[in-house]
Amino acid sequence: MKKLFLAFFLLGTSIFSQAQSLEEIVKKHIDAIGGETNWRKVKSMKMDAVTKANGADIKVSRVVVDKKAMRMDLDVFGMKGWAIITDKEGWQFMPFQGQTKYEAMTADDVKSSQDQLQIIDEFITYKDMGKKLELVGKDDMDGVECHKVKLTDKEGVETSYWIDPSNYFIIKSVTKTTANGKEVEATLTYSNYKKHDTGIVMAYSMGGDMGDIEIQNIEINGTIDEKLFKPSEQ
Amino acid sequence: MKIQLFLFVAVCTVLGAHAQSPVNSSTFGVMDARSMGPGTMSGRITSIQGVQTDDKILYVGTAGGGVWKSTNAGASYKPVFDKYCQSIGAVAVDQKKPNVVYVGTGESNMRNSVSIGVGMYKSTDAGDNWKAIGLDSTEHISKIVIHPENSDVIYVAVPGPLWSDSKHRGLYKSTDGGEHWEKILYKDEKTGCADILINPKNPNILYASMWQFRRQPYSFNSGGTGSGLYKSTDGGKTWIELKEGLPEKPFGRIAMALAPSEPTKMLAIVESNNTGLYISDDGGEHWKNQSATMNTVARPFYFATIEIDPKDPKRVYRPAFEFAYSDDGGYSFSSASGEGGWVHSDMHALWINPNNTNILYVGTDGGIYTSIDRGVTWRFSHNLPVGQFYHVSYDMQDPYHVYGGLQDNGSWMAPSAAPGGIGNGSWLRVGGGDGFWTQPDIDGKTVYAEYQGGNMQRTVIATGKSEDIQPQKTLKEEKLRWNWNTPIVLGSKNPKNLYVGAQYLYKSTDQGRNWKRISPDLTTNDKNKQKQEDSGGLSADNTSAENHCTIFTVAESPLDENLIWVGTDDGNIQYSLNGGTSWVNVSNTIALSGAAKGAWVSSIDPSHFDKNTVYATLENHMYGDHACYLIKSTDMGKSWKLISSKEFKSFAHKICEDPSNPKLLFLGTEMGIYSTLDGGENWFLLKNGIPEYALVRDIKIHPRTHDLILGTHGRGIYILDDIRAIRNLTADIWNQDVYLFPTPDITLNNGRFGWGGSEISGGWYCGNPASIQSIDYYLKDRLSSGKADVEIYDANGKLLQSIPGGKRKGINKVYWNMRGTPPRVAAGSTKFDGAGFTAPMVLPGTYTVKLKVKDKVYEGKINCVHDKMNKDLTESDRKLVYDKSMQLQELYNQVNNTIDTITWYQNKIKADSLSKNKANKEFQKELEKIRSEMMATKQKSIFADEERIREKVSKLYGSFCGMEAKPNTIQIEAIQSVEQEYQQQAELLKKVMEKFLPKVSL
Repeated sequence: MKKLFLAFFLLGTSIFSQAQSLEEIVKKHIDAIGGETNWRKVKSMKMDAVTKANGADIKVSRVVVDKKAMRMDLDVFGMKGWAIITDKEGWQFMPFQGQTKYEAMTADDVKSSQDQLQIIDEFITYKDMGKKLELVGKDDMDGVECHKVKLTDKEGVETSYWIDPSNYFIIKSVTKTTANGKEVEATLTYSNYKKHDTGIVMAYSMGGDMGDIEIQNIEINGTIDEKLFKPSEQ
Repeated sequence: MKIQLFLFVAVCTVLGAHAQSPVNSSTFGVMDARSMGPGTMSGRITSIQGVQTDDKILYVGTAGGGVWKSTNAGASYKPVFDKYCQSIGAVAVDQKKPNVVYVGTGESNMRNSVSIGVGMYKSTDAGDNWKAIGLDSTEHISKIVIHPENSDVIYVAVPGPLWSDSKHRGLYKSTDGGEHWEKILYKDEKTGCADILINPKNPNILYASMWQFRRQPYSFNSGGTGSGLYKSTDGGKTWIELKEGLPEKPFGRIAMALAPSEPTKMLAIVESNNTGLYISDDGGEHWKNQSATMNTVARPFYFATIEIDPKDPKRVYRPAFEFAYSDDGGYSFSSASGEGGWVHSDMHALWINPNNTNILYVGTDGGIYTSIDRGVTWRFSHNLPVGQFYHVSYDMQDPYHVYGGLQDNGSWMAPSAAPGGIGNGSWLRVGGGDGFWTQPDIDGKTVYAEYQGGNMQRTVIATGKSEDIQPQKTLKEEKLRWNWNTPIVLGSKNPKNLYVGAQYLYKSTDQGRNWKRISPDLTTNDKNKQKQEDSGGLSADNTSAENHCTIFTVAESPLDENLIWVGTDDGNIQYSLNGGTSWVNVSNTIALSGAAKGAWVSSIDPSHFDKNTVYATLENHMYGDHACYLIKSTDMGKSWKLISSKEFKSFAHKICEDPSNPKLLFLGTEMGIYSTLDGGENWFLLKNGIPEYALVRDIKIHPRTHDLILGTHGRGIYILDDIRAIRNLTADIWNQDVYLFPTPDITLNNGRFGWGGSEISGGWYCGNPASIQSIDYYLKDRLSSGKADVEIYDANGKLLQSIPGGKRKGINKVYWNMRGTPPRVAAGSTKFDGAGFTAPMVLPGTYTVKLKVKDKVYEGKINCVHDKMNKDLTESDRKLVYDKSMQLQELYNQVNNTIDTITWYQNKIKADSLSKNKANKEFQKELEKIRSEMMATKQKSIFADEERIREKVSKLYGSFCGMEAKPNTIQIEAIQSVEQEYQQQAELLKKVMEKFLPKVSL
């Protein structure tokens, strides 16, 4: 009987420590990025960024109204393109890819892009969104022994995050999706974390195989013209 | 984070259309090794398992290259087990929960060169993450079976250690998905479990074959009283031995199969004094001897696979020495057709697609083949770089070539760089058999290669013609004893010296045409270890793999060609100071260091800095000792010091001292490559794109390019390009927060190679080294907050470029394209203009580099030099090209400014004024006319090219910016022509302005 009690105790401890460990990591991460309260206040976000190509700048801007609509604009050497996604529809105009007029996105694309309308950090909202978060364990990422956690959404899309235990910032993410029956991975690295006036903390630099992107300015809860989310030829 | 992800992906889409010591595994930072392959010749495959519910998904276990996964039926593979043991014995997929995958490490094709495992692993997310689940002392796992109805029940067949007794052998069962294990069938410390079958229609019925076997460094025995065939009808609680109709014991290894569609029908290949195929129709109760063809009975210890079609009980497959199939339940066999080409012999794994049993995947000693006609013809997969090299070498050509020998796959060479990168077609075969040492002669035309047992040839690379050059015994000499992996070595000091070792050392100075024996027997010459003709056990097996008391390593000092070191497979280290006239045996003092006595001397590396200093690795795994023995002597072997580290996981193959930095060492082991920057005090695992448990058999450092070249036994060749940043990393640097390394001279060119064509589909491909000299810096810690930017300034202090730098802990690299900032591009065109990506290449001279990390600046100089190798471009030509490029950039700027001016006025003219104000309308029309001459405004498709002034300037500008030859007259005249075109339109614009500005209303 003593052994049974001991085993039960150990089992309970084990489950508790595992669960707490994940919760602790999530809590520390949320604290590191400015706290849930600050993030919950964010209703819209405007972002200006730039990426370099052979020494030239490519400008990118993005506007999101939480859970409603998102617009992204690109300016590549005087040629402009954009994409709009709302909670119901989506359009895009990418002349760099040969498009001569804007085109509506498919219903599937709109559906799979709904995550883009979420401003608030996923580690705060994952339960609201019906996503599953699990602690994979410790894993070396770019020379840092990170906490690796995996987030799985309702559609089964998995994103693994590597969190630096020294500051609880995310170092890297890999999102695995399936397109046309083929597994596709999108990898991003995050750095240059900065605190915004509103108290939220975000990575102002991101990197991938194609280079780095630097966020230059973020405006939170500013005035946003609803017309931005209507497609037009310009 | 989704916000940033979307932002980033979108941008990439557009571009795509176009205190210890702080030194540790992170120190090498971004320096990732290139995986050379080859895929043209792969390596030994040990297990293939597919997913029934999605038969495009395959998991492939390999002998030394880990686990690879395909999600497209083999069109491509990716490694999914690179952080774990690379020797794979078995893979199993839970078909009820196909995301659950088990891997048993430690191959069980018990040849002399087989590696060892560290237990069982489980993934619950289809191979993304793995967890060790025990059986970590088993060393070899041959099969994993999952209960077809209860995913928690797993059986694991464990032959156990090859080289020693062990209590960890036997058949194991878990009833909780691998959390706990129970040994359910065990004979003794010499007998393991070789195979396990489960009756899919009655999973309580199990069959297990037990196998007694043992290797010693000089012999192999398969068979003994422990071997036998067993059956359980209660899920493994009790067992009976099956005997009726089977041959007389003792048995050796038994391979078996049952028909999934009719599980009472069974086959067993029983190694015995009457080895053959035995058939049972009653679930193993009675057996009948049927076939004893060579392919059925050959090498039972090595070929232990027989399978029956899941749907057809009469269709039997025997992948072994060759591929054979039967249509009558195993009574007769046919061989695969040769149509479609040669199929590698020596087969160990077969997966029959249960959804379409015409489709088979077979794993051989040379990779995977696929059949869509039930094994009659086969297609090779060229995309699995799991070759098992024993040694690597290089030549001094530019680009240099790498050379090496592959287990069962001959000797090969390939360039370290090539136009378009290194593909399968870059590899050239220069020797056959099992390849080992492959050495290029300094003449650049000749290569020396060998195959097993000291057979060696001198081959002319251009023609492939070869001559045997193996030294022969004289009348008075003993039979020569050649190691399986006989050393052929060129002198480090004098590369005209060619050495080979049997029990004696031989030297040639004329490319192996004549040999001089320069030593007595340097081994222990223990006669008890020289009975290879008796090797094999029940099945004779004497392929030179057990040859012993031989020379295994030879090394000429890089400081003195008369100082020669020799190591043997029976523990001797001897040296000669006089080119072989006399020898000193220094092995007696090895054991005093704590290293094993009598162990194989796997490598010797005489120091580049001190003749009295020498390093050696010893490996004793063939006596069941997996310890890592790295020893160093600073007094010519009078005494040895054992260099240890808690980082080392397994036995050592190769020590390599850097030729420039005596404190920089690399150690290749059976489980990973390690490095030290302080002469061996602190070691760390070298990751950098290399599997963490890579079997690193050989290490070389190229003297000209400073590349670290690794020969792995399971993942081909890796090259870590230009390790100078590491070489220069000393304690005073690594203790700084940030350090900007001096940048070597940058040669001004567009890289060594042109485009080279697209990579051919379906093969393994390795990119070239960076074509630009990197700017390197060191960060003691990862930079989470703040930026790291690299800025380049010219001699006048003008900022040429600002480049975002990496923030990774350790070495970071930034590549400056040797150009300034590209010009601005005016908006309004319907055509994408590439000039915005382009700037002229700078002129030779000294430039300033500023590394800005947070609020601190670290400054250095960069010397850009003219490319003297390019005979098409003199320095004055370069100046001309530069001047013309700048002239065109200025013209391009003028064109864009003019376009901006036009656009500004056009925007100022209000749309509703056009109908009211005639001048406005006329002005707008005239402006648009000029605008449409200045740049493309109508192009609607890339297939309807429109070229106006800006496009013409842009094209010329791009051409001059990329020019690496003296421009011709026509090219220069073309500049004048387009300048005139622009001037005409500019004049026209001026007139239009003069005419309309007084009239229009803006």
